[in-house]
Amino acid sequence: MENNEVLLRVEHLCQYFGTTKAVDDVSFDIRKGEVFGLVGESGCGKTTTGRSIIKLYDITSGSVYFKGIRIAAGVKSYKDAIAAAKKELAETKARLKGNTSSEAKAEIANASAKCAKTVSEMRAEIKKAKFDQKNCDKEYAKEQTAKLNAEYRPKLAANPGDKELKAEYKNKLNKARKSRLVTQIQMIFQDPIASLDPRMTVKEIISEGLIVHGEKDKKVLEEKVYEMLELVGLVREHAGRYPHEFSGGQKQRVGVARSVIMNPELIIADEPVSALDVSIQAQVINLLNELRDRLGLTLLFVAHDLSVVKYFSDRIGVMYYGKMVELAPSDELFLNPLHPYTRSLLSAIPLPDPEYEKQRKRIVYNPLAEHDYSKEEPTMREIKPGHFVRCNTEEYERYLEILK
Amino acid sequence: MEKKLQVKDLTISFRTTNGKVQAVRGINFDLAKGETLAIVGESGSGKSVTSKAVLGILAGNSIVEGGEIIYDGKDLLKISEEEFHKLRGDKIAMIFQDPMSSLNPIVRIGKQLTEAMILKGKARQKENRKNFNTTLELVRKAMIEAVAKGDSAKASELTAKCKKFDQFEYKHLELENAYNAAHEAAIEVADDIEPLVFELEKKAAKDLRYRLNTIASQAKQTFHTYVIAKDRNRVITLADSLSALNNPKKYGEDLPELRAALTELREIMLSASNRPVPNFFTMGYYVTFVNKLLPDMHIEELNAFMRKKLDEDFMLDFIDNVKAALIWSATNADAAKREAITSLRSNRALFEKEDLDKAACKQAIKEMSAVVSRSIDKLELVKDSFAYTFEKGMNGDLDKYFESIGKNAKEEKRFARQTAKHEAKTAKGKEPDWTVVPASITNLELVRKNMLAQIDRLADHYEEVLSTRASRDFDAEAVAVIDYLKACAGGVVKKVTKRMAKARAIKLMGEVGIPEPRKRYTQYPFEFSGGMRQRIVIAIALAADPDILICDEPTTALDVTIQSQILELINKLKAERNLSIIFITHDLGVVANMADRIAVMYAGKIVEYGTSRDVFYESAHPYTWALLSSMPDLDTKEKLDAIPGTPPDMLYPPVGDAFAARNKYAMQIDFEKQPPMFKISETHSAATWLLHPDAPKVERPKIITERIARMEAKRKESANDGE
Repeated sequence: MENNEVLLRVEHLCQYFGTTKAVDDVSFDIRKGEVFGLVGESGCGKTTTGRSIIKLYDITSGSVYFKGIRIAAGVKSYKDAIAAAKKELAETKARLKGNTSSEAKAEIANASAKCAKTVSEMRAEIKKAKFDQKNCDKEYAKEQTAKLNAEYRPKLAANPGDKELKAEYKNKLNKARKSRLVTQIQMIFQDPIASLDPRMTVKEIISEGLIVHGEKDKKVLEEKVYEMLELVGLVREHAGRYPHEFSGGQKQRVGVARSVIMNPELIIADEPVSALDVSIQAQVINLLNELRDRLGLTLLFVAHDLSVVKYFSDRIGVMYYGKMVELAPSDELFLNPLHPYTRSLLSAIPLPDPEYEKQRKRIVYNPLAEHDYSKEEPTMREIKPGHFVRCNTEEYERYLEILK
Repeated sequence: MEKKLQVKDLTISFRTTNGKVQAVRGINFDLAKGETLAIVGESGSGKSVTSKAVLGILAGNSIVEGGEIIYDGKDLLKISEEEFHKLRGDKIAMIFQDPMSSLNPIVRIGKQLTEAMILKGKARQKENRKNFNTTLELVRKAMIEAVAKGDSAKASELTAKCKKFDQFEYKHLELENAYNAAHEAAIEVADDIEPLVFELEKKAAKDLRYRLNTIASQAKQTFHTYVIAKDRNRVITLADSLSALNNPKKYGEDLPELRAALTELREIMLSASNRPVPNFFTMGYYVTFVNKLLPDMHIEELNAFMRKKLDEDFMLDFIDNVKAALIWSATNADAAKREAITSLRSNRALFEKEDLDKAACKQAIKEMSAVVSRSIDKLELVKDSFAYTFEKGMNGDLDKYFESIGKNAKEEKRFARQTAKHEAKTAKGKEPDWTVVPASITNLELVRKNMLAQIDRLADHYEEVLSTRASRDFDAEAVAVIDYLKACAGGVVKKVTKRMAKARAIKLMGEVGIPEPRKRYTQYPFEFSGGMRQRIVIAIALAADPDILICDEPTTALDVTIQSQILELINKLKAERNLSIIFITHDLGVVANMADRIAVMYAGKIVEYGTSRDVFYESAHPYTWALLSSMPDLDTKEKLDAIPGTPPDMLYPPVGDAFAARNKYAMQIDFEKQPPMFKISETHSAATWLLHPDAPKVERPKIITERIARMEAKRKESANDGE
């Protein structure tokens, strides 16, 4: 699966809730057709990352690009830059207060000009970010509408009496107007029981997305729903039933069908198997694997069960307290875990082997004891092609030693 | 090994609007002291129902159709709710799956931890008082019958003796409790001072004001003639100097004077806690009946002196009397037991008939229970569970029997209506997608068999008891009765105050690994993270010092690191307290970590049962294979072997092997007949026809054998690395 086209790019994503930094400066990209796993303990921000990407939250800072278009942008970093520039100016002024020499005046003038420049630049950025955040979908819809117009208008002009063509045009136009870029990202939720409306039939649940986006033809809807049901291993008869009539695994299949019907390119699967029994887990994992091969899906797979993530993902990002600490191809990560937190996480995986379990020793991760960041702050560094670790220079060199 | 819990042929169903759902179908297992038994299976396999039955918290619509759960000689399915109150949370505790929903969100953690301790403390006190009084009264009556034999002067003398025992026993406990409080305070002061001195030396003492005050106030509680006598004034001076220290600025510094004072106090406390202890039992007698003032002697001498006095004056004689009472009571009971056996054997025929005669059966049960209740030796300390539960069990079953064959007009009507509807629809050539729920859902055959089994069991049990009767040692039993009385009295005097409960709770919180327990004590559940909350739940379960801990998926809601910590904690506590654990989960990785033995459940039955090694390396049942191969490990690359389909609907359990429909190794017989448990080795058995000698040889799936080989290679490699 060598494909270097980047489908989703996350740059310096920050998501703060008040003073809590749920996600703090996370960057990664997902290539088309791959499964990207995101692991970490509960509360480390992996679910928040997923939800920020699909715009369930307004992000605080950073940008998310989908197919090269910025779909989400935060403004905090720009605001911070403005504040910093103003502060610098104020400091310069304070320093030179009472100094009436011409040099000092020149310095102040220089500083003001610099500050004004930064402020105006950053304000432009903020404006742009706000526009992107709000209008990326509208722009996309406009584009789609324009494309459609270009295709159909000449045809209609050529034979004005063709009613069928006109109807088809209208139908497509309706859909194009309502089309959204973000619908190409879909989500599968953790709890199949809580994420399905108990008062809707499976048909209503699965087709809801299409209806919202302008599909009115009942026959088309029905056919689509049946197709999806069969795709996820259910049968047509299930369409009329209610969620409570299904077992846990079947419910999760309905959740998968609901997200696949929108023809997405990227699926964010937020712990899709954590709430399921082992045997059902295997069914759902196999289903996702099959869909991925058949529909060429790209997946962001969020989970805390490392055996499943290892089995399923091409690349894995490890998160700890809102920060990405290590990112590597999955085999590489399990073979050469470098960051002490990754090591601790891997040492905690229970395996179905009693003899091994008796010997297994959990490594305890204590960030205060492991790292000394008083001299230099850590950054993400590429230690091997494709293998990134969050570390400072001293650690970087130590990790390089280990890899040898 | 000592068996803590035995489950035999347990069968449980649930009454639902659609009929009877068979949740547990005749399972057998036992739990030894200090071992972990893991019950593994999918949801709906009956593993939680089993654990709830052990804890006596089955839902209201459940029907226990048969079987028994034996704990401590009692059948937990037959004892009354009042008796269960004493066990639940006390001897048998449970950790639930979801820590969020098993804690009360609006009550502080401390309250939730101590609530049970305080309640249990009061209940225990009450119960102990009752036990003490009734037992002493029984002993008195038996003594009068056995020794006085109608002589009224002798009888009143015996009564006086019992009263005397009562009096000085309470005095003894009063004295002992006062001593214990002072002694414990001394040990605690010494324990508290040790880390504090160390921290002062390192200039890192925190909470200094609070800790010094605690030490000072505790030190003043140590005054007791046999703990701190001559050092009393010195302790007062030292304690006052501790509380007088009032300069918060200096807290981060080394305070040499303070350290010296603390060290001295610790020395005094240590030497005080090591002094010899007087025998308070004999002292109680001496103080009450001989002389209020004790002779001035060394403690060992004093003990010997008082013991001699007590023995000569009272005890030897009293023990003789108790022994006579016991012999009398046992002889009477034995005679009644012989009667009971004949009565049981002769009445058995009544219950063998297909249709039971209600009046006759009632009469027979009444007769039998009368003689059985006479045959119970009330002075025997080990309660005979079969005899005690006989009447209740028999009557319960009989009622169940006649209730279900008796005309229930409403159910009959519904049944007739549904049948008519069903027939009408079939007559039209359509096939209805529902079935008629029968008017009665009780299995009559099983109920009848249950009653017969109870009769046989009691008779057999009595015969066995009578045959071993000759070897009874009444001397030892008499002493045991007196010890029992002493223990009861001890329970009455022992109070659990709020303060004691708090101290214990804080200690427990520290034990389960919660940092800063003193601060955490006053917080609410929402202030804790998931892992910490689960620790609190464990601490609550442990507060009562249980024998058996049931863990119902305790880590399913947690992530790997926390899961690993919690499992380590449970394993540690198990080793420390010699707990027996029933561990319920569907995660085989966790099972491998925890279990000594494993029971794999499917559709209400145990399909494979063996030690952890047996089940993981030598698994024999296709369902176990399926479970093992449906879960990826770190080296799995190939497609997972998911188990197709879903578990069977237990409204209509399949005739043959329940797993047959999802089993790729299924044979014809699997659909027709249920496989029995085939024994593979001493510890290992499985219920599958594949183990039958005539069955074709089937290899285990490759994915499992390969994994075992791989794991072994890995282990060897790491062992080599270690060397």
